[in-house]
Formats: sequence, structure tokens, C-alpha cells
Amino acid sequence: MADFDKLFEQFKTAAEAVSAQVYRVKDLNEAGSLLSTLVEEDGAKKLAAASSPMVDKCLNTANLNIEVKTDDLRKNAEDADFGLSELDMAVAEIGSLQQDCTDLNKRLVSMLPHTHVAIVRTDSLVANLLEAMAKIDEIKDNIPGYMAFITGPSRTADIERVLTIGVHGPVKLKVIFVDNPGGDSNE
Amino acid sequence: MSNRIRAKINKALNDDNLRGALGRFANDYLGSRAKAYKGRNFEDLRDIIAERKNCSAQKMEELAQQFKKNAEARGAKVFIAKTAEDAKKYILDVALANKVEMVVKSKSMASEEIHLNKLLQENGITAAETDLGEWIIQLAGQTPSHMVMPAIHMTRDEVADYFSKETNQNLSPDIPQLVQVARQELREKFLTAGMGISGANAAVAETGTLAIVTNEGNARLTTTLPPIHVALVGMEKLVEKFTDVGSVLECLPRSATGQQLTSYVTMITGANPTNLSDGTVGTKDMHIVLMDNGRTQMRDDEKFNQALQCIRCASCLNVCPIFALVGGHVYGDVYTGGIGTILTAFFNDFDDAGELQNLCIGCERCKEVCPGKIDIPGLILELRNRVTAKQGMPTSQKFLLNTVLPNRKLFHSMLKVGSKTQKPFVSDNKIRHLPLFLAGMTEGRSLPALAETPLRDQLYRLAKPKKSKAKIGFFGGCLVDFVYPELGKAANKVLKNMDMEMVYPLEQACCGVPAGHLGATDAHRKMAKQNIEAFEKANVDYVVTVCPTCTSSLKHEFVELLKDDPAWADRAEKFADNVFDFVEFVAKNTNDGKDLGLKSIKESVTYHDSCHLRRHLGVIEEPRNLIKEGGMELKELQWPDRCCGFGGSYSIRYPELSQPIMDAKLEDITNTGAETLSTACPGCMMQIGGGLDNKKSSINVKHVVELLADRLTD
Ligand code: SF4
Ligand code: SF4
Repeated sequence: MADFDKLFEQFKTAAEAVSAQVYRVKDLNEAGSLLSTLVEEDGAKKLAAASSPMVDKCLNTANLNIEVKTDDLRKNAEDADFGLSELDMAVAEIGSLQQDCTDLNKRLVSMLPHTHVAIVRTDSLVANLLEAMAKIDEIKDNIPGYMAFITGPSRTADIERVLTIGVHGPVKLKVIFVDNPGGDSNE
Repeated sequence: MSNRIRAKINKALNDDNLRGALGRFANDYLGSRAKAYKGRNFEDLRDIIAERKNCSAQKMEELAQQFKKNAEARGAKVFIAKTAEDAKKYILDVALANKVEMVVKSKSMASEEIHLNKLLQENGITAAETDLGEWIIQLAGQTPSHMVMPAIHMTRDEVADYFSKETNQNLSPDIPQLVQVARQELREKFLTAGMGISGANAAVAETGTLAIVTNEGNARLTTTLPPIHVALVGMEKLVEKFTDVGSVLECLPRSATGQQLTSYVTMITGANPTNLSDGTVGTKDMHIVLMDNGRTQMRDDEKFNQALQCIRCASCLNVCPIFALVGGHVYGDVYTGGIGTILTAFFNDFDDAGELQNLCIGCERCKEVCPGKIDIPGLILELRNRVTAKQGMPTSQKFLLNTVLPNRKLFHSMLKVGSKTQKPFVSDNKIRHLPLFLAGMTEGRSLPALAETPLRDQLYRLAKPKKSKAKIGFFGGCLVDFVYPELGKAANKVLKNMDMEMVYPLEQACCGVPAGHLGATDAHRKMAKQNIEAFEKANVDYVVTVCPTCTSSLKHEFVELLKDDPAWADRAEKFADNVFDFVEFVAKNTNDGKDLGLKSIKESVTYHDSCHLRRHLGVIEEPRNLIKEGGMELKELQWPDRCCGFGGSYSIRYPELSQPIMDAKLEDITNTGAETLSTACPGCMMQIGGGLDNKKSSINVKHVVELLADRLTD
């Protein structure tokens, strides 16, 4: 049994070093209220979400007084402040997240809005990149059509090598680890 | 060297922005790279990459077919393009058939290689680069100067000007604001473009997957938003297994930008859901062009096929002292730096590359950091050989290399004649001019005078130990024989204290490196034979030299040169086994100097690593240990392993490049506050000594062998 507390701490350190914010909650109820807080703090007015078991539950329990869209995301994600999606794996050593985003919605909400909120199971943490790649290798005969590793928000150093966060993708990446997503199909 | 390249060099040297940016980067890069690799064994990682890439390159065509089958099974269309023309035609046809008006592009070196944007524009299609750096140079009408940071040569003010023009605003040179402007401008283009064009960093044959590495997120948008995606992928990107991508990812971001991983790694297999032009969700029109354009030819070349192990991390540029001075544009408009020279030869233009290979000073720093384990300077030398073979060599040079260099007496008398005729130029015992291949080396540095009596004529004076444990053959080499004979005498003193007898076989010739570097392989081989024979006859136990360039030639190049000659291969091997660089030999046989009985004499000393000693021969700690053993205080340079700019005849061919590299070295030396600069290479001594003398510095320049001899009694 992996030591998820340790892996989480490692992830948090690594991800914060690349300008992501990292949170950890007990269950999806807590995730919902954390989401409400984050939205409020930011002053966001619109959220676009890619439907998935964890995202749906999180939205159900969140108390959001803003526009929330889960359809027609090409349009709705473009002017949303927040994008919400579920990720599949977290890589502790380097603070990376992995996602099967063959579902177009997952790509749109994680790229177009200003802030991407990523929900991921704590027990999906693996130690390092090669371990993550080995896991994907196990399903290579049926490899997802579109996959991504995401490490921090988008960045550039193309002008005078000055690091600038937020180019074409999100300016902020907030990661919520859920210890006990409870009762969903992943369990 | 053509005036065209000379002019480009001068332009770059006079561009303060460029030099400032590149110089700062060269310094910062090393630190961030080291940090990113912390806790990892780089040698193990690159062994894997080199092996995996090499194995894939061997069966490139087979993997291309396998990739095609697997990607097509997942709904992509795969086209294998033999030439640049085939690739261009295919992509243009797709665009025209779909009435595409605007294309968004994420960074693709392969598309630069075939000048795809130009073709699209000629056909009325707008191609917008979306990588920030690429977009900047596109707006400026320039070409990339670096594989990873295409606009590294530009300042924020220049960028603000171009962006202001493009957006009809008056933008201030505020970087975050400029980035925001790019985000807005390009977002619009992403949303309206009819087609996205990307490259790929790896193409996995067993799954049909493309892997793309970016930081800005533009590749994700390029491959997601438009209804059509064309990926243009050089066939060297093919790897056999999915796990091979993991190996590449372990090194690529670390070496390229000092990151553990880039912000995004995208892996695409087949055709995926997308928004069609009518707004509904459907399946993407997905095309993958696997381009050969010289790659299979490179693979079939027994020497150059290792260049296919390149993962385009550009770390070879980042550590190259020449690149740091001149930037990328001197090298042409696509692939830049040392590896760029090689790629250009196969993918674009052999003759251009033939000229560019001259820019390499042979310091080998790139080889040390290359994740593909490519012997970049070795390949550049090979390119030089082929250029010489193709174009021939001037008769005067042939005479020099074939007749004068192997004949020491003739060489020395010619040097003497030359130096006599230039007597008026000799002042303070420093020469202002030297004849032959030593000529012209006087820019910004004084040269030591030719020794009145060469080492070979002073041998009768050398003292011998009472009882000899071993007979050591001393190889002089041109600089020691004719310019620094005192190094030979110092070596004799040290060896005598080790109870070893030193002999100097008179038939020895030049080590052959000057010939080899001019592409005159035959002359080099001739000298190899002459030297081996001379030392065999002398019946010595070991051969030592105080010049690491000579050591490398004797120990490694002779073997390589003679390996296909049955009469000589074994002799060369046997000879090479007993060749040692002097410093290494002494350290090894005296317990790092402890058994030498050195008198402790105080002296504050800094040490410069000669490129050949450190990187060719791997001798790093030995000279330092010997220095400390002699009671000296070692004050390390900030950049001890950076080239001094000598590079043999390089400093003659490119004084304008050699000079600033030396200046940086002199500054580093002066900053240590040491009384003495020591090194273990007569070439570096000549370069640095001349530079310090020219600056009227009081710092002494000594070979490590002299420091030791100073601390021994006869
Ligand atoms: S050997 Fe030195 S000069 Fe030549 S390409 Fe490599 S780093 Fe540059
Ligand atoms: S030659 Fe080596 S160091 Fe240079 S870009 Fe290729 S892999 Fe990187």
C-alpha cells in the first residue's frame, strides 16, 4: 500500500514550485464547498465543467451562485473564468497530473478558461513519471485517443527568458485531491 | 570561409543585445540543468535514449509502416513523404481541398526545414505561428535563432514594437502585458482557424501515438480547436515502444529548459472528437505526415547515423562557446549550432554545412551534455573530411601537411627561417608573428618566442636517475618541441624523481592533429605510423606527453585511423595502451603526488581545464590533487572547464571569435586573485599566456609539470 500522505506532500511541494495551488479534502462534499470558496475568492462569474462522476457530485454539493455550464462548451468555456474537470492520475515527484481527455469537453474546460480546477483522487497518486508511463503502457492496446500530462499553469519564457505564467492555456491551476470520493464507479 | 558567413559573424558580434542575452543564458542554463537532473544519473538516462533511438533508427521504414497501420486503425490518415516536396504537396492539397484560409501552427522544426509557411502564403493561406517565440519572429520577418527559444536574440523593446505594429496599439515593453496581448490575439486565431499544424517530439510505432511537449499550451489548442489537424513529423521521431517516450521525457525538458516536465505533454492516437465548422461535435480530420527528406540516407551512413539519436533539446547550443557569441543566425535559417550543421548537411544543403563546420572549436562541451550521446564534434570533423575530399586541398597546404609536419628537422628549420625574417617583430621575448600554421595568431595576444634550441637538440643535457624503474618515451609535439622545450625538461626532472628514465625518440613527428583538423586524413595516418614506429624502436615501457591534444591523438585517433589496416591495427592498439597524459601518469604512479616528496612552496594558483584533457581524456581531479600536494592554495575559477578559445588553428581562422572567449577566461582568472594560472596544455598556455601578457598582467602562466618541477631538486 502506497503512502499517499507522503506522496501528496511530495506532489504539493513539486506542484507549488511550478505555480499550481494544491488542496486536499476528505470527500466530494468538502470538494464542493472548497470549490465555492475558490470561486468566491476569485470573483469568478462563470464556470464551465466537463461532466464526469466526481465533477457532477462536486457541483451538486457546491453552493455556486454563478453561471455554471456543462454543455456547448466550445462557446461556454471560452468566456468562462473557471473550468472544472476530473483528472486520472497524479505524479508525486514532479507535481504532474494525467488525464484521458479524449472527451472534447475535458480539453476545452482545461484549456480555455482563465483558471483550471482539477479534481483528482488521492489514491491515484504514483511516485514518478516512469511509473505513470508504465501504467499507461499496461493499456496500450486500447490507448486513449487524447491524453495529457499537465504540470502547472501554462507558461513561457520566450521574451528575454523572463518566466511568465499564463500564455495560451490557463493562468491558474488549482488541484483538489479527494481522499474518499465515495460510492462512484471508480471505487 | 565565405564573406557571407564572416559578415554574419561580425553582425552578431556587434549585437550587444544578442551577446548579453546569450551570455546570461549560458551562465544560468548550467545551474538550472543541474538542478533538474538532481538525484538522477544522466549517464544511465542517456545510455537508454541513445540505445532506444538508435534501435528505432535502424528500422525506420519498418516502424513507419507499423505506425501507419496503427494510427490508421484509429482513424488517422498517414502519409509517408520521401522528400520535402512530397510533404509540402500533401499538406497543401489537404488545405486547398478543405478551402482552409487560416492555419494555426504550433512549433515544428520540420515545417521550418521545408519552409512550409512560405508555401502556404504563396497559396493565399495565412499561417499563424502560435508559439510565442515563433510568433514574434514571424512578425519580425526573421528565422529562429535557437531550436527551443526561437526569439532569444530579441529584446522586450523590439517585441513591443512588433506587437504594437501588429495590433495598432502603443504597447509598452512590459513582458506580462505583451504576453497577454499575444494570448488575446492568438486566441482569436485558434478559434477561427480551419486547420492546425503541429510537429511531434515522438511517434510511437506500436500504438500509433504522437507525443508533443510544450509549455504554453498552444499545441493543445492547435490539435484541439480546428477541425483539421496535420502533424508533420520527421521520421527520426519514430520510436518502437510506448515506454520509449518515457525515456525521452526524462531528459528532454531537463536538458532543454531545466524543467522536470514541461507544462503540457500531449499524446494523440488517431482521430479524436472535435468541433466541426458547423459547431457540432464530430471526428477530427487527422493527417500525419512522416517525412524522410534525408533521414534514411543519414541512417544508412555508418558515421552519421548517430545524429538520428538527437531529441532536439538544444542543450548542445546552450553550452557551446561559439553559439554563445554568435547566436543561431550565423548557422543558417533552420537548425542551428553544432548539431544544426550536421542536420543541415543531410536535410538541407551540404555545401552550406561544409562551410559552417569551420565554426566548431572542438571543445567537446556539447558532447558531454547531449542526451542522445552524439559525438557532435566528431561528426563535424567527419563533415570536414568529406568537404576536403569533395573540394580537394590547396597545394601549398598539402605540401605543409604531407612533407613539412612529419619531418621535424625541416619543420624546425622552416620555423627558424620564418622567425628570423620576422626578427623585428620580436620584442620582450614574445613573437608578434609566426610562420606557417602558427601564423596570424597574434591578434590580442602575444606569442612566446620560438625556442632558440628545440627540445630535441637539448637532450644530451637531460639528467638520468641512478637506477631506472621504467623507460619513458617522451612525445614532444610541436608546441613543446619548438616553443616550450622547458616543459620537456621539467617532465624529465619529475620522472627522474620517480626513478624513471626519459628518452626522446628523434624520429617522432607531429601528432597529426593539425592535419586531421584540416580534413587531411591521409597525412594524419602517415604521422600515426611514423610515430608508432619511432616509439617501438625506442623500446619504451610507456609514452607520455604534456600536451593533451597530442595524447588524444596518440591514444585514440591513431587506433581509429589504423583500425582497418591489418598490418597496423594491433600495433596501434598496443602503442595506445601505453600512452598517458603526463599529469595522469604522475598522479597514478605517485599516489597523487604523495610519493614524489614535493617541497611545500606557497603559491596561490588557479587551474584551467584544457578541453582535451578534461573531456577527451577525463582527467579532472589529478592535476588539482597534485597542485594541493605541492602546498599550493588552489583558487578555483568560476568556470574552470570553459574553453580558452585556442582550438589550434581555430584562433587563426576566427580571431574575432577566439578573442572574446579568451577575454571571458582572462576575466575569470583575474577575479580569482591567484598569482599563477596553471593548466596542463601548452596550447592553452600559449593562448592564455599571450592574452595576459597583452593585458600586461602580472599573473604567471605555468604548466602543472612546471609547478611540480619547481618543488623538486634535480
Ligand atoms: S565542440 Fe564545442 S565548439 Fe564545437 S559544437 Fe560542440 S560545444 Fe560548440
Ligand atoms: S544533439 Fe544532443 S544536445 Fe544537441 S539537440 Fe540533439 S539531443 Fe540535444
